[in-house]
Amino acid sequence: MSMIETFSLNKTFRQAIKDPGLKGSIKHFFTQQYRDKTAVNGIDLKIEEGESVAYVGPNGAGKSTTIKMLSGILVPTSGTLRVNGLVPHEDRIRHAKQIGVVFGQRTQLWWDLPVRESFSLLKDIYEIPDPLYKKNMDRFNDLLGLHEFSDLPARKISLGQRMRADLAAALLHNPPLVFLDEPTIGLDIAVKSRIREFVKNINQKEGSTILLTTHDLEDIKDICRRLVIIDKGRIIYDGTLEKITDAFAQERTLHFQVREPVSSISGIIANLPGVTADQVNELSFSVKFNRFQYSAGEIASKIITSADVIDFRIDEPSIDQIIRKLYNGELILQEEQPSEAIRS
Amino acid sequence: MTSAKKYFSLMKTSMQASLSYRFNFFINTIAGIVFITALFYIWKAIYAQRTELGGMSWEDMKTYLLVVFITNMLLTWYSETAISRRVIDGSVSMDLLKPLDFQKARFSETIGTSIIEGGICALVAASWATVFADVNLPPNLLASGLFLVSLALSVLIKFGIIYLAGLVCFYTSSVLGVAWARAAITNLFSGALVPLTLFPDWLETITRWLPFQGIVFIPASIYMERMSGLDALWNIGIQFIWVIVLWLAGKAVWRWSVRQVTIHGG
Repeated sequence: MSMIETFSLNKTFRQAIKDPGLKGSIKHFFTQQYRDKTAVNGIDLKIEEGESVAYVGPNGAGKSTTIKMLSGILVPTSGTLRVNGLVPHEDRIRHAKQIGVVFGQRTQLWWDLPVRESFSLLKDIYEIPDPLYKKNMDRFNDLLGLHEFSDLPARKISLGQRMRADLAAALLHNPPLVFLDEPTIGLDIAVKSRIREFVKNINQKEGSTILLTTHDLEDIKDICRRLVIIDKGRIIYDGTLEKITDAFAQERTLHFQVREPVSSISGIIANLPGVTADQVNELSFSVKFNRFQYSAGEIASKIITSADVIDFRIDEPSIDQIIRKLYNGELILQEEQPSEAIRS
Repeated sequence: MTSAKKYFSLMKTSMQASLSYRFNFFINTIAGIVFITALFYIWKAIYAQRTELGGMSWEDMKTYLLVVFITNMLLTWYSETAISRRVIDGSVSMDLLKPLDFQKARFSETIGTSIIEGGICALVAASWATVFADVNLPPNLLASGLFLVSLALSVLIKFGIIYLAGLVCFYTSSVLGVAWARAAITNLFSGALVPLTLFPDWLETITRWLPFQGIVFIPASIYMERMSGLDALWNIGIQFIWVIVLWLAGKAVWRWSVRQVTIHGG
């Protein structure tokens, strides 16, 4: 049995529409008009136990709506879903015990209570046995450093601390399934990487199934083996991250720093057809090439022979750009023939 | 199915949380005192011309006002709007993620707050009664006991009404309007502004069929032994029935509105 199974899942919201101006508002006061907006449109998704899946898409693509249906907050308009054997909105309370949810924009801590008290209340709410509670608290303290702020009320702690506490709060009852909705939003790099480590740990050591939505591509790279891209309520890609980067990130960039100003970069790359160069300033420049045509080594060794290179670095094939292109409709995904799929 | 312990913990937690709002309590208490003092002087002016009104002497009226004060303080504006605020600011979706029954959870929290408020209220009421020294205590132990039972039921009725008003916010997207409307209706029909016996007959008849009388009028009448013996028990029975009816109504409305919201998105 799969952990998550949805079949042509749909969610349509009713939105009130108003004509512009005061006149429109007055009209709206007497007669309300509504329009249906389809947020999720025929999602078929199957996630197995122990998977870690990134659920990605532009704002308004339907990510959070899907998560809300999977967690039992929203009732689907049509379609079926089954999460670990339960229909979430029909069996809400039982379902709530088997999931852990973090919404980056909301907290489940009690605002006025010391963080520690929130945990002990959650212990009672989820009926967590003492030994498990103690074990988890010790582990979370280690991994997330909760003790630094556990005696402060939630309203007094920083966003990064709050996020760490919220993660711990969501996972205190060892849920087999974890939803993370933008868990690293607005956090600094140190906290982000701490949170990623933690989530990886939960996935790999505990075998929890992870479904993560994020706009931060580092999150995806670090945590998830599988990538599901959704746009306008539909799934437009479902596969591994490598596959999509291999297929679409053809262009790579090498950045060089040199000791002496280089007279002519175009001269250096003249014998490398298809390679272009950008002069950043006197002592540094970057070179762009197609990775199916050249290896980074080839390019670097060519340049090193003709310039006094102090330092160089390579831009990773950027999933960022690919996804941006996907969002803009510049890419059409055809997994069979990836290199021909680029239109622009 | 669900154990009581989690709700008990919620109650304790809300007691703790409300203690961290000392300033809020202070303001609420002041507001309560201002309200009751205003009523006090209005009635004093009315009684300056007469010794009795609708069977109540000035002494009776002062006692009545004390009970009004206690019932008002037992569930203050803050805990009243807490439920509405959850609905409005969307934290209700976080509540849906917990293995908790929404109504029982809010009930536990409200009662927790009420216990703390009750403690503070007892102090303030005692000092108020000392200042306006000649307020009578319940005439006997039985009346005191019945009064406490009736007072507890009064809190439960008030919770039922507040809970329903909170759920209305699913549709209105405004806390204050609903809370003010609720407060105005409750103040009128509960007897908080004017004892129900002073109402014209038709209005008094209406109030006898509404739950609000159980908030102020019934406990006050029992306190003053204007209702005693079987009459008092009968009225406590009425309060009890209202507690049940409101609880079930709250359950039904929640089930209906949460489904609406989760269907239409909120």
